[in-house]
Amino acid sequence: MLLLLVPAAVLLAVVFVAPMLHYVWLSAHANSVLTGLVPIPNQGANWIRLVSDQRFWQDAGQTLRFTVVSVSLEVLLALAIALLLDQRWRGRGVARALTLIPWALPTTVMALGWRWIFNTPYGPLNQTASLLGVAPLNILSNPAITWMATVLADVWKTTPFAALILLAGLQTIPTDLYEALRLEGASQRTCFLRITLPLLKPYIALALLFRLAQAFGVFDLVQVMTGGGPASSTESLALYAYINAMRFLDFGYSATVMIGSFILLLLLCLISWSFLIRLQRRTGRV
Amino acid sequence: MTPLQRVVALRPRLLAALLALLIIPIGLASAPFRQVERINILMPAPFADATRPLVEQFNRLHKGNIHLDVIRGPFETEAISDLAISSLLLGDTPFDALLMDVTWLPKYAAAGWLQSLDPWFDASDVETLATGAREGNTYQGTLYRWPFVASMGLLYWRTDLMDRPPETPEQLEAISVKLQADQKVPWGYVWQGRQYEGLSCVFLEIIDGFGGYWMDPENGAFGLDKRNGVEAASWLRHLISSGISPQAVTNYAEPDALQSFKVGDSALMRNWPYAWAELQKADSEVKGKVGISTMVAKEASSSTATLGSWGLALLESSAHQDATAEAIRFLTSEEAQKTLFLSHGYTPVLVSLFHDQELIKVNPTLPKLAEALEHTKARPETPLYAQLSDVLQRELSGVLTGEVSAEQGMKNATKTSTVIMRSAGDRR
Repeated sequence: MLLLLVPAAVLLAVVFVAPMLHYVWLSAHANSVLTGLVPIPNQGANWIRLVSDQRFWQDAGQTLRFTVVSVSLEVLLALAIALLLDQRWRGRGVARALTLIPWALPTTVMALGWRWIFNTPYGPLNQTASLLGVAPLNILSNPAITWMATVLADVWKTTPFAALILLAGLQTIPTDLYEALRLEGASQRTCFLRITLPLLKPYIALALLFRLAQAFGVFDLVQVMTGGGPASSTESLALYAYINAMRFLDFGYSATVMIGSFILLLLLCLISWSFLIRLQRRTGRV
Repeated sequence: MTPLQRVVALRPRLLAALLALLIIPIGLASAPFRQVERINILMPAPFADATRPLVEQFNRLHKGNIHLDVIRGPFETEAISDLAISSLLLGDTPFDALLMDVTWLPKYAAAGWLQSLDPWFDASDVETLATGAREGNTYQGTLYRWPFVASMGLLYWRTDLMDRPPETPEQLEAISVKLQADQKVPWGYVWQGRQYEGLSCVFLEIIDGFGGYWMDPENGAFGLDKRNGVEAASWLRHLISSGISPQAVTNYAEPDALQSFKVGDSALMRNWPYAWAELQKADSEVKGKVGISTMVAKEASSSTATLGSWGLALLESSAHQDATAEAIRFLTSEEAQKTLFLSHGYTPVLVSLFHDQELIKVNPTLPKLAEALEHTKARPETPLYAQLSDVLQRELSGVLTGEVSAEQGMKNATKTSTVIMRSAGDRR
């Protein structure tokens, strides 16, 4: 019944394949104010520029750093939170609802909040620091540390999402497995390592891949919190593509940055996917 | 049935007549209002606040005909441009005019968003402008922007430490080294070395002062990796490595340099006109000991001040072009400039005001600013300026921190700039 696949295929083609192909086509053209915003073929000049574009590679490094650090922290924290919320205790319902609040908030709103928290010298963080007699911290204007502030905001915001996936995973594990193992005198730790972790693995992989793709395309958080600064140290690839289009009015090169970062994301996903598969096989044999 | 329902049911015609009696006068009264031309001008917040009294005055003068609203935009200049561009790209902008930085003009003009001001401002108007204020308003020979406030790079010097300001790079070094050796000041010269737009402004002055050029306006060729360009970059590096400028200058923006100069830690500073008022405040260690000059250069004739002015540009999509031009003329009139100078210290653009005794009494540096305006130079007037400046800042930052040699840095900057031009569709 291939016919039944047609609606889904059409939808995919319209919202995914067509724009993608358009961008590939656009990346082979000059389309800027110099050409009167009309696409003109430029013999791969965009791609030559991309390869030698320091800002692109700096942003790629920054995006990768942001993605790896924030996603690892998120998944670890989410695992702890999911385990806690899976236990039966008084007030669990309220705790589950509260945990979800950061995720339910619009990113723009919470990014503004964090920007205010880190404000020098009026933000609450610096107010506290000055009460304690510590020198003001210029967190949002120091290229060496500003990126950590964006990671912190992202972890705060999206850990609940990963926790939700892991909690769903935990609830699919039948309780009789634990009972059986406990009857044989196994400790909590053994239960966790032998039952919870192996059975949760597909869900961890799911959370990882979802968050990987999302974090790699981070835009709104950075745009609102730092605008990509200072000295473009927190600029993500998505933000660079946006700046090329909306600030530099160079749509051809913006498309090239877009496709370039798509290829990088694809590579990243392939690497982490093969890593997970290998992990699966190794533990499968045990 | 309530009384109201009874009226509606029994006396529909009476009700209709009553309603008509009510509506017609309102309609008649509001008819003249419909002819009022409402115009919107977008400005960064500080400018919008400064012009508020002028806007009120304009609206009183044109009551019943034009109503001007100045939209208070974000503080950051890039955010203003992003806001304007988003609405212009969508093709439905609520603004009739924009207050525009000098570097945006070529991009907006090339995109076809600006209306030529030639029908409203002619050659005799241009002649009322100070020489430097005439620059940066045209793109390919057409006038698109009328200057609102002038700004240019200046060399601040300590009148108590030297008899006269240095004119050449060699003099600057000699004065600094001597003052530092005599332990009069920890540093000789502070400027803006952070990787941001201010660094491009600093470099434009030095490369031109060394007889070179960043981008040739005639043929679009880059002069960064020519001998003069490399010399200029390595001179800036030399200032740091020889200790005339602090190592930290590689992370200095305007406020940092101002701070160092204000507490008396350095003998010379590069900054914009706003700094003078800051240096005369009560908390300034150098109050009354500051002079203003133009940037050092190999030859006096090539002393250069980077032009950094704001001006008003009329949008092509505006439905009220005559009214908007009227507002632009009012906001940039001699009277308005005088008001803004006295209330906010905005440097005027009209040549007549630089010799106004009343203004000179308030700020005695005015004649010096007029002199500096003779030396102004606009940054490369290309729609791709923002990208080219970004490349230059990166490479220069590498040179200043000693990561690459001046020669290699300038070579990289030239190569990358050429690649950018080609990728964006430049055919030269």
